[in-house]
Amino acid sequence: MAGGPTRRTVLAASAAAVPLLLTGCRGVEVLGAPPPLAPDVRLLRSAIEAERLMVSRYREAVAQAGSQGHPIVSALTGIMAEHEQHLAQLTARLVVPAGSTSRLPPATGANAPLPAGLAAALAALETAELDRSNTLASQLLRVPPSLAQLMASISASEATHVPVLASLGRPQ
Amino acid sequence: MTGAAAVSPQAVARLQAALAAEQAACYGYGVVGAYLSGAGAARADSDWIAHELARDSLTATITAAGADPVAAAVAYRLPIQVRSATQATALAVIIEERVAQAYIGLVGLTDLTLRAFGARQLRDAALRATTWSHATAAFPGLPGNSLSAQGSTPAISEPG
Repeated sequence: MAGGPTRRTVLAASAAAVPLLLTGCRGVEVLGAPPPLAPDVRLLRSAIEAERLMVSRYREAVAQAGSQGHPIVSALTGIMAEHEQHLAQLTARLVVPAGSTSRLPPATGANAPLPAGLAAALAALETAELDRSNTLASQLLRVPPSLAQLMASISASEATHVPVLASLGRPQ
Repeated sequence: MTGAAAVSPQAVARLQAALAAEQAACYGYGVVGAYLSGAGAARADSDWIAHELARDSLTATITAAGADPVAAAVAYRLPIQVRSATQATALAVIIEERVAQAYIGLVGLTDLTLRAFGARQLRDAALRATTWSHATAAFPGLPGNSLSAQGSTPAISEPG
């Protein structure tokens, strides 16, 4: 991050731009390019997007299992609910100023569709959970303490999904 | 975890809290193991050792920071009565939840070595809890009142 704009400077640049918005007569182009996202904002946004993707993957898995009348639907729905809680708490930590437009495209779930077949889907979810847990464990070293605690807790929660998914994938 | 050169008083306090939780866990697993047999007893032994290792690591870190590690109690009041294997399993889950809560304090520090250690231990505690309970939690270690509606917790702002 050396040499990059700090969060403080970005926020300061943002604050300094307000009078221009309020008093300038030459239009918003005077402001030039918007300031880049601060590193911790980028990390939080990427965590939010990843969580959205997990929820969409589980929605797909639940639909797949449900269409087969498979008994694991309930367990998958429970894990999906935890991801929805993760998403809600991460999203609550991001303050988007009024009038600001989102700089990330809306999540579509199309980036990493689950493979066909329940066993393959469960294996893919297992891999995704482990990956998310490890990524959060790394990201939490680069954010403020309070967000680090939330990320550590989510990382731990998602790690516990792995053995549960493994047990769901084993023949009963 | 290595000995930190300059550990803040706040960090020492949280390390001491984690150590106290690990000491209680070591005592508690002695009870857990006594009521289990077979695979359950083996798991209790393995988890007990994990807590002993964490306890020793915390003790070394606190000592390296120039502080006196808190002493373990001779005995601890158990949070639930244990007279059966089912109750022993429930105690193991409670132990892990309490240990997880102690480690979330370390994660809240600015010292990244301690933060990373806390996060690893939190994850391990959550995994052990899930192994015992066959259940998962959305926010291991976090007190419920730290999870709330938007604006009530320290937030990160996007540039406007």
